[in-house]
Amino acid sequence: MQRELLFDSATWLVWLAPLLGVLAAGLTTRKDPVVKGDRVLRHDRAAIIEHWTHGIGTTVLLVSGIALGVWFLPALVGSGDPVWTMMDVHFGAVLVFLFGTFYYGTNTLLATKRFREHLPTKDAVEYTKRHYGLLLGFKKFTMPPERKYFESEKMAYILALASTVTIIITGLLKVAAHVMDIPAGVMAIVTPAHDVATVAMLAFFLAHVFFAAVLPMSWPVLRSMFTGYVDLEYAKHEHAGWLAQLGYEDARTEAAVDETAA
Amino acid sequence: MVDKDTSSAGEIVPAEKTGTISRRQFFTGVGGLGVGIVLGGTLFNGLLLPDEVIAIPASQGYLLVDSKKCQGCNTCMMACSLTHHGVQSLSLSRIQVIQDPFAKFPDDKYIAQCRQCADPKCVTACPTGAMHVDTETGVRTVDVAKCIGCQECVYACEFNVSRAGWNFEEKHAQKCDLCLNTPFMDAEGGPGGQQACVAACPTGAISFVSEIPVQSDAGYEVNLRDEGWAALGYPIDDEGKVSPAEAALAE
Repeated sequence: MQRELLFDSATWLVWLAPLLGVLAAGLTTRKDPVVKGDRVLRHDRAAIIEHWTHGIGTTVLLVSGIALGVWFLPALVGSGDPVWTMMDVHFGAVLVFLFGTFYYGTNTLLATKRFREHLPTKDAVEYTKRHYGLLLGFKKFTMPPERKYFESEKMAYILALASTVTIIITGLLKVAAHVMDIPAGVMAIVTPAHDVATVAMLAFFLAHVFFAAVLPMSWPVLRSMFTGYVDLEYAKHEHAGWLAQLGYEDARTEAAVDETAA
Repeated sequence: MVDKDTSSAGEIVPAEKTGTISRRQFFTGVGGLGVGIVLGGTLFNGLLLPDEVIAIPASQGYLLVDSKKCQGCNTCMMACSLTHHGVQSLSLSRIQVIQDPFAKFPDDKYIAQCRQCADPKCVTACPTGAMHVDTETGVRTVDVAKCIGCQECVYACEFNVSRAGWNFEEKHAQKCDLCLNTPFMDAEGGPGGQQACVAACPTGAISFVSEIPVQSDAGYEVNLRDEGWAALGYPIDDEGKVSPAEAALAE
Protein backbone atom coordinates (compact mmCIF):
# COMPACT_ATOMS: atom_id res chain seq x y z
CA MET A 1 0.00 0.00 0.00
CA GLN A 2 1.20 3.49 -0.85
CA ARG A 3 2.40 5.29 2.28
CA GLU A 4 0.91 8.67 3.10
CA LEU A 5 3.00 11.75 3.77
CA LEU A 6 2.67 13.29 7.23
CA PHE A 7 2.09 16.60 5.46
CA ASP A 8 -1.18 15.01 4.24
CA SER A 9 -2.25 12.80 7.13
CA ALA A 10 -1.35 15.22 9.94
CA THR A 11 -1.64 18.65 8.36
CA TRP A 12 -3.55 19.92 11.39
CA LEU A 13 -0.40 19.66 13.50
CA VAL A 14 1.16 22.38 11.34
CA TRP A 15 -1.64 24.77 12.35
CA LEU A 16 -1.51 23.62 15.96
CA ALA A 17 2.25 24.13 16.52
CA PRO A 18 2.38 27.94 16.13
CA LEU A 19 -0.80 28.39 18.18
CA LEU A 20 0.75 26.34 20.97
CA GLY A 21 3.76 28.66 20.76
CA VAL A 22 1.50 31.71 21.16
CA LEU A 23 -0.36 30.10 24.06
CA ALA A 24 2.86 29.04 25.79
CA ALA A 25 4.27 32.56 25.52
CA GLY A 26 1.10 33.99 27.01
CA LEU A 27 1.55 31.71 30.02
CA THR A 28 5.28 32.38 30.44
CA THR A 29 6.78 34.69 33.03
CA ARG A 30 10.13 36.12 31.90
CA LYS A 31 13.21 37.03 33.91
CA ASP A 32 15.28 40.03 32.92
CA PRO A 33 19.11 39.86 32.84
CA VAL A 34 20.70 40.67 36.21
CA VAL A 35 24.14 40.51 37.86
CA LYS A 36 24.26 37.78 40.49
CA GLY A 37 27.59 37.66 42.30
CA ASP A 38 30.29 36.75 39.79
CA ARG A 39 27.76 35.69 37.17
CA VAL A 40 25.31 37.52 34.94
CA LEU A 41 21.95 36.04 33.95
CA ARG A 42 22.01 36.39 30.16
CA HIS A 43 19.20 34.08 29.05
CA ASP A 44 16.18 33.01 31.09
CA ARG A 45 14.57 29.63 30.56
CA ALA A 46 12.13 30.95 27.97
CA ALA A 47 15.01 32.34 25.88
CA ILE A 48 16.78 28.99 26.02
CA ILE A 49 13.63 27.16 24.89
CA GLU A 50 13.07 29.72 22.09
CA HIS A 51 16.63 29.44 20.88
CA TRP A 52 16.94 25.67 20.81
CA THR A 53 13.51 24.89 19.39
CA HIS A 54 14.05 27.46 16.64
CA GLY A 55 17.67 26.38 16.14
CA ILE A 56 17.12 22.63 16.09
CA GLY A 57 14.07 23.07 13.87
CA THR A 58 16.05 25.25 11.48
CA THR A 59 18.95 22.79 11.37
CA VAL A 60 16.78 19.81 10.50
CA LEU A 61 14.73 21.87 8.04
CA LEU A 62 17.88 22.97 6.23
CA VAL A 63 19.31 19.44 6.07
CA SER A 64 16.08 17.78 4.96
CA GLY A 65 15.08 20.65 2.66
CA ILE A 66 18.40 20.75 0.86
CA ALA A 67 18.49 16.94 0.64
CA LEU A 68 15.15 17.07 -1.15
CA GLY A 69 16.68 19.45 -3.66
CA VAL A 70 16.21 23.16 -3.34
CA TRP A 71 15.22 24.61 -6.72
CA PHE A 72 18.81 25.26 -7.92
CA LEU A 73 20.66 22.76 -5.71
CA PRO A 74 20.97 19.08 -6.65
CA ALA A 75 18.74 16.67 -4.73
CA LEU A 76 20.72 14.34 -2.45
CA VAL A 77 17.96 11.77 -2.14
CA GLY A 78 16.92 9.90 -5.25
CA SER A 79 13.36 8.71 -5.33
CA GLY A 80 10.76 6.68 -3.49
CA ASP A 81 11.30 5.88 0.19
CA PRO A 82 14.24 8.27 0.80
CA VAL A 83 12.16 11.17 -0.57
CA TRP A 84 9.15 10.34 1.59
CA THR A 85 11.31 9.76 4.67
CA MET A 86 13.01 13.13 4.18
CA MET A 87 9.62 14.81 3.73
CA ASP A 88 8.41 13.27 7.00
CA VAL A 89 11.60 14.48 8.71
CA HIS A 90 10.91 17.93 7.24
CA PHE A 91 7.39 17.74 8.66
CA GLY A 92 8.64 16.97 12.18
CA ALA A 93 11.13 19.85 11.99
CA VAL A 94 8.37 22.20 10.79
CA LEU A 95 6.43 21.56 14.01
CA VAL A 96 9.43 22.26 16.25
CA PHE A 97 10.45 25.30 14.18
CA LEU A 98 6.95 26.81 14.18
CA PHE A 99 6.46 26.29 17.89
CA GLY A 100 9.83 27.85 18.73
CA THR A 101 9.49 30.76 16.33
CA PHE A 102 5.96 31.71 17.37
CA TYR A 103 6.92 31.28 21.03
CA TYR A 104 9.78 33.73 20.42
CA GLY A 105 7.65 36.06 18.32
CA THR A 106 4.88 36.32 20.90
CA ASN A 107 7.34 36.75 23.76
CA THR A 108 8.90 39.57 21.76
CA LEU A 109 5.56 41.25 21.15
CA LEU A 110 4.87 41.03 24.88
CA ALA A 111 8.14 42.81 25.70
CA THR A 112 9.27 44.84 22.71
CA LYS A 113 12.49 45.81 24.49
CA ARG A 114 13.68 42.27 23.68
CA PHE A 115 13.18 43.07 20.02
CA ARG A 116 14.86 46.46 20.22
CA GLU A 117 17.98 44.98 21.82
CA HIS A 118 18.44 42.88 18.66
CA LEU A 119 18.30 45.84 16.28
CA PRO A 120 21.53 47.45 14.99
CA THR A 121 22.36 50.91 16.29
CA LYS A 122 24.27 53.80 14.70
CA ASP A 123 27.39 52.21 16.21
CA ALA A 124 27.01 49.02 14.15
CA VAL A 125 29.77 49.57 11.59
CA GLU A 126 32.25 51.26 13.96
CA TYR A 127 31.83 48.69 16.76
CA THR A 128 32.06 45.73 14.37
CA LYS A 129 35.25 47.17 12.89
CA ARG A 130 36.80 47.66 16.30
CA HIS A 131 35.60 44.36 17.71
CA TYR A 132 36.90 42.13 14.95
CA GLY A 133 39.93 44.37 14.35
CA LEU A 134 40.97 43.67 17.91
CA LEU A 135 40.32 39.95 17.55
CA LEU A 136 42.39 39.88 14.38
CA GLY A 137 45.30 41.51 16.21
CA PHE A 138 45.12 45.17 15.21
CA LYS A 139 46.45 46.73 18.42
CA LYS A 140 45.23 50.22 17.65
CA PHE A 141 41.64 49.08 18.26
CA THR A 142 40.10 48.98 21.72
CA MET A 143 37.19 46.69 22.61
CA PRO A 144 33.98 48.68 22.11
CA PRO A 145 31.42 48.70 24.93
CA GLU A 146 29.12 46.22 23.18
CA ARG A 147 25.67 45.76 24.60
CA LYS A 148 23.99 42.38 25.17
CA TYR A 149 24.42 41.43 21.51
CA PHE A 150 27.37 42.43 19.35
CA GLU A 151 26.53 44.94 16.65
CA SER A 152 27.62 42.37 14.04
CA GLU A 153 25.10 39.92 15.49
CA LYS A 154 22.41 42.55 15.28
CA MET A 155 23.04 43.06 11.57
CA ALA A 156 22.89 39.30 11.00
CA TYR A 157 19.63 39.24 12.98
CA ILE A 158 17.96 41.33 10.28
CA LEU A 159 18.89 38.71 7.66
CA ALA A 160 17.68 35.89 9.92
CA LEU A 161 14.44 37.74 10.61
CA ALA A 162 13.74 38.39 6.93
CA SER A 163 14.50 34.83 5.87
CA THR A 164 12.49 33.35 8.77
CA VAL A 165 9.41 35.43 7.94
CA THR A 166 9.68 34.52 4.25
CA ILE A 167 10.16 30.83 5.01
CA ILE A 168 7.17 30.75 7.36
CA ILE A 169 4.77 32.56 5.00
CA THR A 170 5.78 30.55 1.94
CA GLY A 171 6.02 27.32 3.93
CA LEU A 172 2.52 27.68 5.33
CA LEU A 173 1.22 28.31 1.81
CA LYS A 174 2.99 25.15 0.64
CA VAL A 175 1.30 23.21 3.45
CA ALA A 176 -2.05 24.86 2.66
CA ALA A 177 -1.71 23.50 -0.89
CA HIS A 178 -2.17 20.03 0.64
CA VAL A 179 -5.67 20.82 1.83
CA MET A 180 -6.97 23.46 -0.57
CA ASP A 181 -6.58 24.57 -4.16
CA ILE A 182 -3.90 27.27 -4.24
CA PRO A 183 -3.62 28.93 -7.70
CA ALA A 184 -0.63 27.73 -9.71
CA GLY A 185 0.47 31.34 -10.24
CA VAL A 186 0.79 31.80 -6.49
CA MET A 187 2.74 28.56 -6.11
CA ALA A 188 5.04 29.61 -8.94
CA ILE A 189 6.14 32.51 -6.71
CA VAL A 190 5.94 30.72 -3.38
CA THR A 191 8.28 27.83 -4.20
CA PRO A 192 11.24 29.87 -5.52
CA ALA A 193 10.78 32.39 -2.68
CA HIS A 194 10.90 29.52 -0.17
CA ASP A 195 14.09 28.23 -1.78
CA VAL A 196 15.83 31.62 -1.95
CA ALA A 197 14.97 32.27 1.71
CA THR A 198 16.38 28.84 2.54
CA VAL A 199 19.72 29.76 1.00
CA ALA A 200 19.72 33.08 2.90
CA MET A 201 18.95 31.17 6.08
CA LEU A 202 21.75 28.72 5.29
CA ALA A 203 24.21 31.60 4.96
CA PHE A 204 23.10 33.02 8.31
CA PHE A 205 23.12 29.57 9.92
CA LEU A 206 26.68 28.75 8.86
CA ALA A 207 27.99 32.14 9.99
CA HIS A 208 26.05 31.89 13.26
CA VAL A 209 27.35 28.41 14.07
CA PHE A 210 30.92 29.47 13.27
CA PHE A 211 30.90 32.70 15.28
CA ALA A 212 28.70 31.43 18.12
CA ALA A 213 29.91 27.86 18.60
CA VAL A 214 33.13 27.08 16.72
CA LEU A 215 35.23 30.13 17.66
CA PRO A 216 36.64 29.61 21.20
CA MET A 217 35.94 33.25 22.07
CA SER A 218 32.22 32.48 21.80
CA TRP A 219 32.19 29.45 24.07
CA PRO A 220 31.19 31.39 27.23
CA VAL A 221 28.08 32.63 25.45
CA LEU A 222 27.42 29.19 23.99
CA ARG A 223 27.58 27.80 27.52
CA SER A 224 25.06 30.43 28.62
CA MET A 225 22.61 29.07 26.06
CA PHE A 226 22.44 25.98 28.30
CA THR A 227 22.99 27.42 31.80
CA GLY A 228 21.60 30.92 31.26
CA TYR A 229 24.66 32.59 32.83
CA VAL A 230 27.96 34.16 31.69
CA ASP A 231 30.89 35.01 33.97
CA LEU A 232 31.00 38.59 35.16
CA GLU A 233 34.62 38.98 34.03
CA TYR A 234 33.68 37.86 30.52
CA ALA A 235 30.78 40.32 30.45
CA LYS A 236 33.06 43.11 31.65
CA HIS A 237 35.43 42.48 28.76
CA GLU A 238 33.01 41.70 25.92
CA HIS A 239 29.75 43.41 26.92
CA ALA A 240 30.66 46.49 28.94
CA GLY A 241 27.81 48.47 27.45
CA TRP A 242 25.35 45.78 28.49
CA LEU A 243 26.63 45.71 32.07
CA ALA A 244 26.29 49.48 32.18
CA GLN A 245 22.66 49.11 31.08
CA LEU A 246 22.15 46.60 33.89
CA GLY A 247 23.43 49.17 36.35
CA TYR A 248 26.73 47.48 37.18
CA GLU A 249 28.84 50.27 38.69
CA ASP A 250 32.39 49.38 37.52
CA ALA A 251 31.31 48.68 34.01
CA ARG A 252 29.18 51.79 33.87
CA THR A 253 32.19 53.91 34.72
CA GLU A 254 34.44 52.11 32.24
CA ALA A 255 31.87 52.32 29.48
CA ALA A 256 31.35 55.99 30.07
CA VAL A 257 35.07 56.57 29.82
CA ASP A 258 35.29 54.43 26.70
CA GLU A 259 32.40 56.15 24.99
CA THR A 260 33.99 59.51 25.74
CA ALA A 261 37.25 58.27 24.25
CA ALA A 262 35.46 56.91 21.19
CA MET B 1 -3.59 33.73 34.04
CA VAL B 2 -0.39 35.73 34.15
CA ASP B 3 -0.86 39.41 33.52
CA LYS B 4 2.28 40.84 35.05
CA ASP B 5 5.98 40.50 34.31
CA THR B 6 8.06 39.89 37.39
CA SER B 7 11.70 40.87 37.06
CA SER B 8 14.40 38.84 38.76
CA ALA B 9 15.01 41.72 41.14
CA GLY B 10 11.47 41.34 42.42
CA GLU B 11 10.29 44.48 40.72
CA ILE B 12 6.70 44.29 39.52
CA VAL B 13 6.32 45.56 35.97
CA PRO B 14 2.73 46.22 34.87
CA ALA B 15 1.79 44.38 31.68
CA GLU B 16 1.03 46.53 28.66
CA LYS B 17 -2.61 47.47 28.63
CA THR B 18 -4.73 47.76 25.51
CA GLY B 19 -8.20 48.85 26.50
CA THR B 20 -9.74 46.50 29.02
CA ILE B 21 -7.45 43.52 28.41
CA SER B 22 -3.69 43.36 28.57
CA ARG B 23 -1.53 42.36 25.64
CA ARG B 24 -0.65 39.13 27.47
CA GLN B 25 -4.31 38.28 28.00
CA PHE B 26 -4.93 38.91 24.31
CA PHE B 27 -2.18 36.55 23.12
CA THR B 28 -3.09 33.89 25.66
CA GLY B 29 -6.67 34.09 24.45
CA VAL B 30 -5.69 33.92 20.78
CA GLY B 31 -3.41 30.92 21.43
CA GLY B 32 -5.96 29.07 23.54
CA LEU B 33 -8.83 29.75 21.16
CA GLY B 34 -6.73 28.75 18.15
CA VAL B 35 -5.65 25.48 19.76
CA GLY B 36 -9.28 24.73 20.57
CA ILE B 37 -10.44 25.46 17.03
CA VAL B 38 -7.72 23.30 15.43
CA LEU B 39 -8.34 20.36 17.77
CA GLY B 40 -12.11 20.68 17.51
CA GLY B 41 -12.01 21.09 13.75
CA THR B 42 -9.76 18.05 13.36
CA LEU B 43 -12.05 15.90 15.46
CA PHE B 44 -15.14 17.14 13.61
CA ASN B 45 -13.52 16.59 10.23
CA GLY B 46 -12.21 13.13 11.13
CA LEU B 47 -15.20 11.73 12.96
CA LEU B 48 -18.33 13.45 11.71
CA LEU B 49 -17.83 14.37 8.06
CA PRO B 50 -18.32 11.59 5.48
CA ASP B 51 -15.47 10.59 3.16
CA GLU B 52 -15.14 12.76 0.09
CA VAL B 53 -16.41 11.25 -3.15
CA ILE B 54 -14.59 12.46 -6.27
CA ALA B 55 -15.94 12.06 -9.81
CA ILE B 56 -13.23 12.21 -12.46
CA PRO B 57 -14.25 13.00 -16.04
CA ALA B 58 -12.89 10.85 -18.88
CA SER B 59 -10.13 12.10 -21.14
CA GLN B 60 -11.15 13.31 -24.59
CA GLY B 61 -8.24 11.48 -26.18
CA TYR B 62 -6.03 8.39 -25.97
CA LEU B 63 -2.92 7.02 -27.67
CA LEU B 64 -3.01 3.56 -29.22
CA VAL B 65 0.24 1.87 -30.11
CA ASP B 66 1.44 -1.03 -32.22
CA SER B 67 4.69 -2.16 -30.66
CA LYS B 68 5.09 -4.77 -33.43
CA LYS B 69 5.16 -1.99 -35.98
CA CYS B 70 7.68 0.01 -33.98
CA GLN B 71 11.18 0.05 -35.44
CA GLY B 72 12.79 1.40 -32.28
CA CYS B 73 14.01 4.61 -33.93
CA ASN B 74 13.02 6.67 -30.85
CA THR B 75 11.77 9.49 -33.08
CA CYS B 76 8.60 9.70 -30.98
CA MET B 77 10.67 10.20 -27.82
CA MET B 78 12.79 12.88 -29.44
CA ALA B 79 9.68 14.65 -30.77
CA CYS B 80 8.02 14.49 -27.35
CA SER B 81 11.03 15.97 -25.59
CA LEU B 82 11.63 18.54 -28.30
CA THR B 83 8.08 19.88 -28.40
CA HIS B 84 7.67 19.97 -24.62
CA HIS B 85 11.15 21.05 -23.51
CA GLY B 86 12.94 22.35 -26.58
CA VAL B 87 15.69 19.72 -26.30
CA GLN B 88 16.14 16.22 -27.68
CA SER B 89 16.46 14.04 -24.59
CA LEU B 90 15.31 10.46 -24.28
CA SER B 91 15.10 10.95 -20.51
CA LEU B 92 12.68 13.88 -20.78
CA SER B 93 10.29 12.10 -23.11
CA ARG B 94 6.87 11.28 -21.72
CA ILE B 95 6.48 8.32 -24.08
CA GLN B 96 9.07 5.58 -23.66
CA VAL B 97 10.13 2.87 -26.11
CA ILE B 98 11.62 -0.06 -24.23
CA GLN B 99 13.90 -2.25 -26.30
CA ASP B 100 15.35 -5.63 -25.38
CA PRO B 101 18.30 -6.49 -27.65
CA PHE B 102 18.28 -10.09 -26.46
CA ALA B 103 14.61 -10.75 -27.21
CA LYS B 104 13.19 -11.76 -30.58
CA PHE B 105 10.26 -10.23 -32.46
CA PRO B 106 7.58 -9.55 -31.31
CA ASP B 107 8.93 -9.25 -27.77
CA ASP B 108 11.89 -7.02 -28.54
CA LYS B 109 10.09 -3.68 -28.34
CA TYR B 110 7.41 -2.20 -26.16
CA ILE B 111 5.89 1.28 -26.35
CA ALA B 112 4.96 2.62 -22.92
CA GLN B 113 2.51 5.47 -23.37
CA CYS B 114 0.20 7.06 -20.78
CA ARG B 115 -3.27 5.56 -20.95
CA GLN B 116 -5.18 8.55 -19.52
CA CYS B 117 -6.79 6.05 -17.11
CA ALA B 118 -10.46 6.30 -16.21
CA ASP B 119 -9.37 5.90 -12.58
CA PRO B 120 -6.02 7.69 -12.62
CA LYS B 121 -4.01 6.52 -9.63
CA CYS B 122 -1.45 9.26 -10.26
CA VAL B 123 -4.11 11.95 -9.86
CA THR B 124 -5.61 10.54 -6.67
CA ALA B 125 -2.15 9.98 -5.17
CA CYS B 126 -1.00 13.58 -5.69
CA PRO B 127 -1.17 15.42 -2.34
CA THR B 128 -1.27 18.95 -3.76
CA GLY B 129 -3.43 18.68 -6.86
CA ALA B 130 -0.42 19.18 -9.11
CA MET B 131 -1.29 15.98 -10.99
CA HIS B 132 -4.81 16.84 -12.05
CA VAL B 133 -7.47 16.39 -14.67
CA ASP B 134 -7.68 19.28 -17.12
CA THR B 135 -11.19 20.66 -16.83
CA GLU B 136 -11.60 21.37 -20.56
CA THR B 137 -10.10 18.25 -22.13
CA GLY B 138 -10.08 15.68 -19.34
CA VAL B 139 -6.37 15.10 -19.98
CA ARG B 140 -4.45 13.90 -16.93
CA THR B 141 -1.56 16.33 -16.64
CA VAL B 142 0.82 18.06 -14.22
CA ASP B 143 0.68 21.63 -12.95
CA VAL B 144 4.41 22.06 -12.49
CA ALA B 145 4.13 25.03 -10.13
CA LYS B 146 2.14 22.94 -7.64
CA CYS B 147 4.39 19.86 -7.73
CA ILE B 148 6.32 19.39 -4.48
CA GLY B 149 8.52 16.60 -5.83
CA CYS B 150 7.23 13.82 -3.59
CA GLN B 151 6.99 11.42 -6.56
CA GLU B 152 3.82 9.83 -5.17
CA CYS B 153 2.38 9.82 -8.68
CA VAL B 154 5.42 8.03 -10.11
CA TYR B 155 4.94 5.16 -7.68
CA ALA B 156 1.16 5.22 -7.77
CA CYS B 157 0.96 4.46 -11.51
CA GLU B 158 -0.02 0.83 -11.79
CA PHE B 159 1.92 0.19 -14.96
CA ASN B 160 5.52 -0.80 -15.42
CA VAL B 161 7.21 1.43 -16.45
CA SER B 162 5.41 4.23 -14.61
CA ARG B 163 3.71 6.59 -17.03
CA ALA B 164 4.18 9.41 -14.56
CA GLY B 165 7.81 10.33 -14.98
CA TRP B 166 10.29 12.41 -13.05
CA ASN B 167 11.87 15.43 -14.72
CA PHE B 168 15.33 15.16 -13.23
CA GLU B 169 16.42 18.53 -14.61
CA GLU B 170 13.57 20.71 -13.33
CA LYS B 171 12.67 18.43 -10.40
CA HIS B 172 8.99 17.87 -10.93
CA ALA B 173 6.67 15.15 -12.11
CA GLN B 174 5.62 15.04 -15.74
CA LYS B 175 3.50 12.84 -17.96
CA CYS B 176 1.91 12.68 -21.37
CA ASP B 177 -0.58 15.51 -21.80
CA LEU B 178 -1.44 14.60 -25.39
CA CYS B 179 0.60 17.70 -26.30
CA LEU B 180 -1.80 20.03 -24.51
CA ASN B 181 1.13 22.15 -23.34
CA THR B 182 3.84 22.10 -26.01
CA PRO B 183 5.59 25.47 -26.12
CA PHE B 184 8.00 24.29 -28.83
CA MET B 185 5.40 22.94 -31.29
CA ASP B 186 3.86 25.22 -33.89
CA ALA B 187 0.69 23.17 -34.31
CA GLU B 188 -2.09 23.19 -31.74
CA GLY B 189 -1.84 20.19 -29.40
CA GLY B 190 -4.26 18.41 -27.12
CA PRO B 191 -7.16 16.08 -27.90
CA GLY B 192 -8.48 18.38 -30.62
CA GLY B 193 -5.08 18.96 -32.18
CA GLN B 194 -1.84 17.24 -33.07
CA GLN B 195 0.27 14.87 -31.00
CA ALA B 196 4.01 15.13 -31.66
CA CYS B 197 4.69 11.40 -31.34
CA VAL B 198 1.84 10.49 -33.68
CA ALA B 199 2.97 13.07 -36.23
CA ALA B 200 6.65 12.10 -36.04
CA CYS B 201 6.46 8.29 -36.03
CA PRO B 202 7.78 7.22 -39.47
CA THR B 203 5.94 3.89 -39.42
CA GLY B 204 2.60 5.02 -38.02
CA ALA B 205 2.97 2.86 -34.91
CA ILE B 206 1.15 5.38 -32.72
CA SER B 207 -2.42 6.50 -33.25
CA PHE B 208 -4.80 8.92 -31.55
CA VAL B 209 -8.42 8.06 -30.77
CA SER B 210 -11.20 9.91 -28.99
CA GLU B 211 -13.00 6.85 -27.64
CA ILE B 212 -11.74 5.24 -24.47
CA PRO B 213 -10.09 1.88 -25.30
CA VAL B 214 -10.48 -1.24 -23.20
CA GLN B 215 -8.29 -0.77 -20.13
CA SER B 216 -5.92 -3.66 -20.81
CA ASP B 217 -2.71 -4.23 -22.72
CA ALA B 218 -4.76 -5.55 -25.63
CA GLY B 219 -6.99 -2.51 -25.55
CA TYR B 220 -4.18 -0.06 -26.08
CA GLU B 221 -1.91 -2.37 -28.10
CA VAL B 222 -3.58 -2.69 -31.52
CA ASN B 223 -2.71 -3.75 -35.05
CA LEU B 224 -1.99 -0.58 -37.00
CA ARG B 225 -0.42 -2.41 -39.94
CA ASP B 226 -2.32 -1.28 -43.03
CA GLU B 227 -1.95 -1.73 -46.78
CA GLY B 228 0.97 0.66 -46.89
CA TRP B 229 2.76 -1.49 -44.34
CA ALA B 230 2.06 -4.64 -46.35
CA ALA B 231 3.26 -2.91 -49.54
CA LEU B 232 6.66 -2.57 -47.90
CA GLY B 233 6.80 -6.37 -47.66
CA TYR B 234 6.62 -6.55 -43.86
CA PRO B 235 4.54 -9.25 -42.12
CA ILE B 236 1.17 -8.04 -40.97
CA ASP B 237 0.26 -10.70 -38.40
CA ASP B 238 1.14 -10.41 -34.72
CA GLU B 239 3.59 -13.31 -34.83
CA GLY B 240 5.43 -11.88 -37.82
CA LYS B 241 5.19 -15.09 -39.82
CA VAL B 242 2.63 -14.24 -42.50
CA SER B 243 4.01 -12.28 -45.41
CA PRO B 244 1.78 -9.80 -47.25
CA ALA B 245 1.69 -12.17 -50.24
CA GLU B 246 0.56 -15.07 -48.11
CA ALA B 247 -2.01 -12.89 -46.45
CA ALA B 248 -3.35 -11.82 -49.83
CA LEU B 249 -3.56 -15.45 -50.95
CA ALA B 250 -5.38 -16.42 -47.78
CA GLU B 251 -7.96 -13.71 -48.43
